Amino acid sequence: MNGVLATFRRELRAYFFSPLAYVVLFFFLVVTGFIFVYLVGQLNNPGSPGGPPLGFFFRATWLLLLLIVPVLTMRLISEELRSGSIEVLMTAPITEGQVIGGKFLAALVFYGFLWFPTFIYALNIHLYEKVDWGPVGAGYLGILLIGSFFLAIGIFASSMTRSQLLAAMITVALVFLMFLLSLWGELTNSDLLKKALEHVNIWNHIDEFASGIVDTRRLVFYLSGTLFFLFLASRALEDKKWR
Amino acid sequence: MIEAQSLSRRYGDFTAVDGISFSVKEGEILGMLGPNGAGKTTTIRMITGFLPPTGGTVTVAGKDLFESPREARRQVGYLPENISLYPEMRVSEYLAYRARLEGLSRAEARQAIPSAIERCLLGDVRLQIIGTLSKGYRQRVGLATAILHNPRVLVLDEPTVGLDPKQIISIRELIRQLGREHTLLLSTHILPEVELLCDRVVIIDRGRIIAEGTPESLRESWTGNPGVRLALKGAAEGAAEALAALPGVVTVKPGAGDGAWLLECEPGSDPREAVFRTAVERGWVLLELARERGATLEDIFVRLTTHDAAAAQAAEPAASGEEVVS
Repeated sequence: MNGVLATFRRELRAYFFSPLAYVVLFFFLVVTGFIFVYLVGQLNNPGSPGGPPLGFFFRATWLLLLLIVPVLTMRLISEELRSGSIEVLMTAPITEGQVIGGKFLAALVFYGFLWFPTFIYALNIHLYEKVDWGPVGAGYLGILLIGSFFLAIGIFASSMTRSQLLAAMITVALVFLMFLLSLWGELTNSDLLKKALEHVNIWNHIDEFASGIVDTRRLVFYLSGTLFFLFLASRALEDKKWR
Repeated sequence: MIEAQSLSRRYGDFTAVDGISFSVKEGEILGMLGPNGAGKTTTIRMITGFLPPTGGTVTVAGKDLFESPREARRQVGYLPENISLYPEMRVSEYLAYRARLEGLSRAEARQAIPSAIERCLLGDVRLQIIGTLSKGYRQRVGLATAILHNPRVLVLDEPTVGLDPKQIISIRELIRQLGREHTLLLSTHILPEVELLCDRVVIIDRGRIIAEGTPESLRESWTGNPGVRLALKGAAEGAAEALAALPGVVTVKPGAGDGAWLLECEPGSDPREAVFRTAVERGWVLLELARERGATLEDIFVRLTTHDAAAAQAAEPAASGEEVVS
């Protein structure tokens, strides 16, 4: 546990000391802010069908994860492999799994920190209208689950290569594949395929969460997916020793 | 304290380390010597648990590195060849992080960190950001992290590489001090360092141990007979004959300068006392009397690590070309 905690604390510090994190934060807040203002504008149109603004907000903003996650995770292991600091890290009494776990938690906390200011939008609506907090909470839960799944994919990619660029590209490819599977599930004519892809259809999942449905199948899917990729990451790191 | 048994490591088809066995006793400083690419770093990485061996075993302080890696690693402090630290951290922050990683408690860390800072003379740069430190200071930070958890064994891979002469002296001094409290394994290709610091030496070439012993014993077994150099005042009558008659003396040659003589002696003999008594008996004035250092470790090293190809060629002149090409 010491190892996880030590890695977590160091990695979280590293996030807040790197300019990259602030660039991501800035970009993220500008884009989500713009989306929010635009949504509220549209919903205020007399012709609009109306609905909870935050529901639409989550449906629109999760796509940003495709861009943000690779940036957050690409450095995590690749940098250690490239600089060689992995050598002093892995000769300490710590396992690969603990390193991966600590780094994942740091990424997850920083990811949460990115989303934290968006809560202002909910409060903003609250000033003018009654907010149904259930779906808002479920929406954030969905964002957290999808985020942790993607972060785990990113850490896996980062543990495979010493090049940050390659790590980011592998992450984008894998995450985009998930996105394409969602799209395929929407577009296919085959009922069977539709039913199967329903379980990996992130687009649908975020719709469910944003409308306040917390389905345990989704919880299981994202949590086990996260653990699976973290496991792969620690195996990839271990594998480095044998070459 | 460190026990390596027929340690091997292959990378694909290439054998970097080929069945090395050696041991380091408690409190000893063992020097590992070898040309670049001899397999020193690979061996060291296997001893610190960074690389698993493809054959053989390592135990550190009685703990097998692969059966109980965490206990074994806790006993080892390691300074890799190119120490890589996190450049954005301050020295004291980095040490605090390492202390946590090593599993020290808060109270232990509060003691260990200032003591490591003091021993490695890092007081001045305690609050500096690691990225701004010079190579010598970074090396010291590396040493400080290696001794932080008070390991019984310290493993240092080329600790003085890339430092300026002044820094080399201060790092060596530090290593000497650390050697008093820890068992030390030191790899280097700088020979004077070995003579200065090490109790025992293993010489590695092409993944094998080719020589082992104390620096003195290596020197003795690889150089010719020991010699004695002396100088007498004035022209001492019959000096050559008298000296040649002394027990243990093989030949007598005139040295450089008036009244200077070089004696070649039988191995293990030391005729200096006899020389002195003869001089007193005969009323010679003895100006100088010293043991001649035979070949330096450097000569031995060069001989051991370069003769291979030539020797192989000489031994098997008829051998087919493929063996010699490499």
